[in-house]
Amino acid sequence: MKRFLVFIWILLTSGLYPQSLDFSGYLRNYSGMRAGNGNTDFVILQNTFSLNMEKNMGGSAFKINTMLYHNGSANDSILFKLREAYLDLYFDKFDIRIGKQQIVWGKADGVFITDIVSPKDLYEFLLPEFDEIRIGVTGIKLNYYLGDSGFEIVWLPVFNPTNSPEQNSIWYPSSGLNLAAAPDLSEQNVAASLKNSEIFLKYSSLTGVIDFELMAGYTWDDDPAMFFSMTPDPSGISLTVNPEYKRISLAGGSLSSTLGPLVIRSEAAYYFGKYFNTANPATDNGTIVKDYIHYMLGADFMLWDINFSAQYIQKAIIDYEPVIISNNLFNGQYSDMMTFLAKYSMLNETLNLELFTYYDFEFDDSLIRPRVLYDYSDSINLQFGANIFTGEKGQFGQFDKNDMIYGKIIYSF
Amino acid sequence: MKTLRLITFLVALLVLNSNEFYPQKLTGLQIMEKVYDRPEGNDMTSNLTMTLKNDSGDERVRKIKQFTRDFGTMEKKIMFFISPADVKNTSFMNWSYSRQGQDDDQWIYLPALKKTKRISSESKSDYFMGSDFTYDDLGDRQPNEDSHKLLKEEKYNSDDCYVIESKPEQLDYMYSRTVSWVAKDKWIVLKKEFYDEDGDLLKTLTVKKFENISGILVVTHTEMKNVQKNHQTIMDLKNVNINSGIEDSKFTERIMTRGL
Repeated sequence: MKRFLVFIWILLTSGLYPQSLDFSGYLRNYSGMRAGNGNTDFVILQNTFSLNMEKNMGGSAFKINTMLYHNGSANDSILFKLREAYLDLYFDKFDIRIGKQQIVWGKADGVFITDIVSPKDLYEFLLPEFDEIRIGVTGIKLNYYLGDSGFEIVWLPVFNPTNSPEQNSIWYPSSGLNLAAAPDLSEQNVAASLKNSEIFLKYSSLTGVIDFELMAGYTWDDDPAMFFSMTPDPSGISLTVNPEYKRISLAGGSLSSTLGPLVIRSEAAYYFGKYFNTANPATDNGTIVKDYIHYMLGADFMLWDINFSAQYIQKAIIDYEPVIISNNLFNGQYSDMMTFLAKYSMLNETLNLELFTYYDFEFDDSLIRPRVLYDYSDSINLQFGANIFTGEKGQFGQFDKNDMIYGKIIYSF
Repeated sequence: MKTLRLITFLVALLVLNSNEFYPQKLTGLQIMEKVYDRPEGNDMTSNLTMTLKNDSGDERVRKIKQFTRDFGTMEKKIMFFISPADVKNTSFMNWSYSRQGQDDDQWIYLPALKKTKRISSESKSDYFMGSDFTYDDLGDRQPNEDSHKLLKEEKYNSDDCYVIESKPEQLDYMYSRTVSWVAKDKWIVLKKEFYDEDGDLLKTLTVKKFENISGILVVTHTEMKNVQKNHQTIMDLKNVNINSGIEDSKFTERIMTRGL
């Protein structure tokens, strides 16, 4: 299958295509070296070719976005990804998009609250650009417009979960459950059927005073629930873990508005029926079902010619019981986090300095990402940066040994 | 009889003193109001090319397709970035209001993030796409935001011009003053000097070409030179269409995300 896809990709890029197709994309060289703790190994030696093929035919359009990854640090392996391949049909009051597509909802940056239609690709944790973190989903999207407002309905016949890294990857996450062996997710796919399909609905409005979205979804939890089972064996009792994807529903919304020099943003979702693990594996296979709220309050502003953005994010389990055990994403009833972004442009926007940080109050861990971006020309962009993990536990602290410096050269066309 | 003669004389004096015979000199404010009120048509479509040149002579080119429409109490503008490649399909929408003191509403659509973001319009001193034009330079600054003084009248190239000095009413404005050369019969600013907060010359704008399109004078070639940085931006407007009847639906998030 992969060979077939590579063949299609080569065919499309070999000059046999219709001239009216619009081509764009980039070629990127990305090298990263672990730093600190005595590490100097090159964990990333990657060459990437991204190609967009688009055609607008007035009442319809299509887009294909392919990615080809060459990993020099992993035996010269080549990975082909079809990120998007869809057809658009435009009508007077509504549009339909059919095929594999990335769908982005909400007003939060770098956190996923109502933005859950497209699952995440965490092969390199949260370090890739955000458009690379989202996985395209196969389905139908219908937009019905009412002036500056509109409805959006998304139907996905196939469930795609979060893509986790391989177990030998430095980005393989700890489950936070103190398991002897990592659970095997490979056999846990949800069959594509009408019964298993996902549906999302959104109403959004963009006005002079406020922009807002109201949404609801009947979906699958992108992360599997862990079911424990105890079986007697000659040495006593052995504990096995069976991961299983479970249904989840949510309703929420987001807004943004200006308040003088501030752009204020907020986003919230109420999740119905999330499986949490308990300290008692003998009851309900060590699980308990609870609702939780996930919300964000944020502001963007400019000070001393620097663009700042700050967000406070909290998750709160409703009707919390102390038997619930912590994992990397939930620590007790309340989980608090913040993000911070500072950006400064100079030399007529050819040189940009950037600092993005996640900080988790519960685990006292963080990810600090300073970066320098320089436009050598209109086509060539150079980047140098670092990923610094602090703490010992939590979603960032677990990667404390993965501090990294990196460089990227990107040629856009 | 003497009374009748006296009345006739006074009436004649009044007539002779009227504006018809002795036109009153326009004030600086009146001149800048005429510039502000100059007809621009109900809507406009154009292709904008910005060429940025640094002191080494290196050039960078930005291409934009833009649509503007006057809705009476507000003006809506939408821009689609065509090049360079890394900003292709990015779009920007601005709603500006004629009501005094009401800030513009602005959004940017970032195709990589697939997200339309509301941005603050307060930062009018920001430079547009790395050019020498700030967002404020590109907008229509209302005349009553500055105090204006007619300095002199002189020829600039072949045009008779008023030379107006404008000082901001707001103390923290990015320019301490500007000096504009306004063509008398066209109400177009042909040249403008921008002075920084220390009173030193910062930038000079020169209009190189304007054209009569559908009965409207449109500036189609301008150059802005930052004399302190020795950096220059050339703006060229091509394929200008006036009053072509752009639909309301053009200025929506739907079109921002769909693109051209």
